[in-house]
Amino acid sequence: MADFFLQALAQVGSPSVLLLILVGVLFGIIGGSIPGFTVTMAILVVFPFTFAMDPVSGVSLMVGVFVGGYSGGIVSGVMLGIPGTPSSITTVYDGYPMAQKGEPGRALGIGVAASFLGTLISVAVLVFFGPLIAGFSMNFRPWEITALIIFALTLVAGLSNGALLKGLLAAVLGLLITTVGYDRNSNLRFDFGLPAFSSGFEILPVMIGIFAFSQLMGNLEKLRDEPSDARGVDTNVSIPYGRILRDMAGQKLNTLRSSLIGSLVGALPGTGGTVANFISYDQAKKFSRHPERFGTGTPDGIVASEASNSAVAGGAFVPTLALGIPGDLPMAIMMGVLILHGITPGPLMFEQNPVLVGAIYASLLIGAVVMVLCQLLLVRWFAKISLIPQQILVPVVLMLCAIGSYALNNNLFDIWVLFGFGILGYLLWKAEVPLTPLILGVVLGNNLERQLFRALELDSSWLTFLTRPLSALFLALAVASVIFSLYQNRKIQRNQLAARRTDA
Amino acid sequence: MLTLTKDRALALAMLVLTAVMLAETRHIRPPTSWQPYGSALFPRILLVIIGLLALLILVRSLMAGVPPRTAPRRTFTAWLAHHRIVLCLFALFGAYALLLPWVGYLAATIGFLVASLALLLGIDSRRKWAINLAVSLTLAPLVYVIFRFGLNVWLP
Repeated sequence: MADFFLQALAQVGSPSVLLLILVGVLFGIIGGSIPGFTVTMAILVVFPFTFAMDPVSGVSLMVGVFVGGYSGGIVSGVMLGIPGTPSSITTVYDGYPMAQKGEPGRALGIGVAASFLGTLISVAVLVFFGPLIAGFSMNFRPWEITALIIFALTLVAGLSNGALLKGLLAAVLGLLITTVGYDRNSNLRFDFGLPAFSSGFEILPVMIGIFAFSQLMGNLEKLRDEPSDARGVDTNVSIPYGRILRDMAGQKLNTLRSSLIGSLVGALPGTGGTVANFISYDQAKKFSRHPERFGTGTPDGIVASEASNSAVAGGAFVPTLALGIPGDLPMAIMMGVLILHGITPGPLMFEQNPVLVGAIYASLLIGAVVMVLCQLLLVRWFAKISLIPQQILVPVVLMLCAIGSYALNNNLFDIWVLFGFGILGYLLWKAEVPLTPLILGVVLGNNLERQLFRALELDSSWLTFLTRPLSALFLALAVASVIFSLYQNRKIQRNQLAARRTDA
Repeated sequence: MLTLTKDRALALAMLVLTAVMLAETRHIRPPTSWQPYGSALFPRILLVIIGLLALLILVRSLMAGVPPRTAPRRTFTAWLAHHRIVLCLFALFGAYALLLPWVGYLAATIGFLVASLALLLGIDSRRKWAINLAVSLTLAPLVYVIFRFGLNVWLP
């Protein structure tokens, strides 16, 4: 693997790829720093630009956006008191009070340093666990892969904010979308007599439509209901490097713990940066000698938040690369990028595309360094850019989504697919249906059907899914995840009822 | 009379979808000796699950009753007015998709950007128009140049 890593490093180290990583990191930071824009949106906007690139260049650009995006939330969190991305909510708890006390540079510097270290530690986790899990999952046969996909979907659906039924519905709906067009036996399904439907829907316009439209329209509705007054923020920031080094020297354990939490949570399907963020903040508070200082502008809180959310980037690559199962929304899109470039993520990737795997490691490392330099040198500008109003952003992003969808196959039908799924995504969002399981269903649908029928062709008995130990284990975990979320839902409802009674 | 809540509307829409799609599966080629499971089995399994989940959502919603309203009931006209911006933006995007092949990328994109920025920013000051035109007239050609010359993608 070391040979392949060096080979990949040579490719990623070329000036053109380095430039792409720089562009990716810059765009990621900008995307992450604009409240309501999110890392996922930044990735979706950059995605089409990778179509014409070779796999290493495309993946490096996307990894740059990941690294930048997960650190971008610091800027708006500290300067405006608004998390740029949901994964930086707890950054606001201490970053904003510290900035309000006249130390915005210190807060930003600590956040950037923690982000950098979090990314590095997560790369170490990825390098260690990725090949290990991939090696183990090489023994998976169609029964195990089918059961694993079902487990991933139920887990993601179950974590959908107390909406288990809707989460499951969304996941199955996502799977159904992939059945349109010619199937594995070259039989036509659900074309409704329209020739354009015969080749099915491309993943990209479907994903962009479902996610981007609901998110952007949601932002506009939020703006209508709660007009923001984020103007007039002082963006003149100077970074006190010496002070930050002293601060970080006292945060070794916190950084390590939070980064490991971020990496591990990132590796679990359906969790992502937001969950990692809250868990590590909570743990940092529990382990702290001064828990009362949390929320008042302590470096511990910023480190816990930023180290963990940045560590998600590396951790989330583990199941995507090793199992072919994306953990969260940004990773589902990353998987789409790989598929688009003819690479199927999964255990075989480590054998068949070791240079590309090495390129991902190298891009994450280089991206982390570039991120620190960009954040420290350009933080003032990012703070200014984060003030761009949604009213300008929304039409521009919609236009980029349309052109990106078209550029995929130079096919105008894909813009209509984007539009159609945009309307569907918006309506489902209005009905409070979680969209992450739906997108995961779209990404995993073809593989699920392929593996299910391969299993049945090898052994016609459905019971084999239960007699093979690993397959049975994954199915049992799927059932357990559903039962657990039912229990959680009940608990939430009971608490809400008790709170209402107390209020009354 | 039953009130149509979000959950009920969702469940009913999903039940209709299930019925339509299940009927459509009859047009899928039936199983053969070398394709014993056929191509309709997988979508049928999914549709049955969707139908069952929709039924569960409907039953749960009926059992839970209608939550008390926090805001007064809106008329359809008031609802349209409340969602005016989002609906107009969807319409503008539809018009953009329609116009792209007819008037070409540059004209359609500039038109879409100018119209949607006017909708969102407003048109009541020179400054807003200046921002609108600066964004539209800069970004549309810039994206064209990047795709056409940087990425070798022909835009319509």
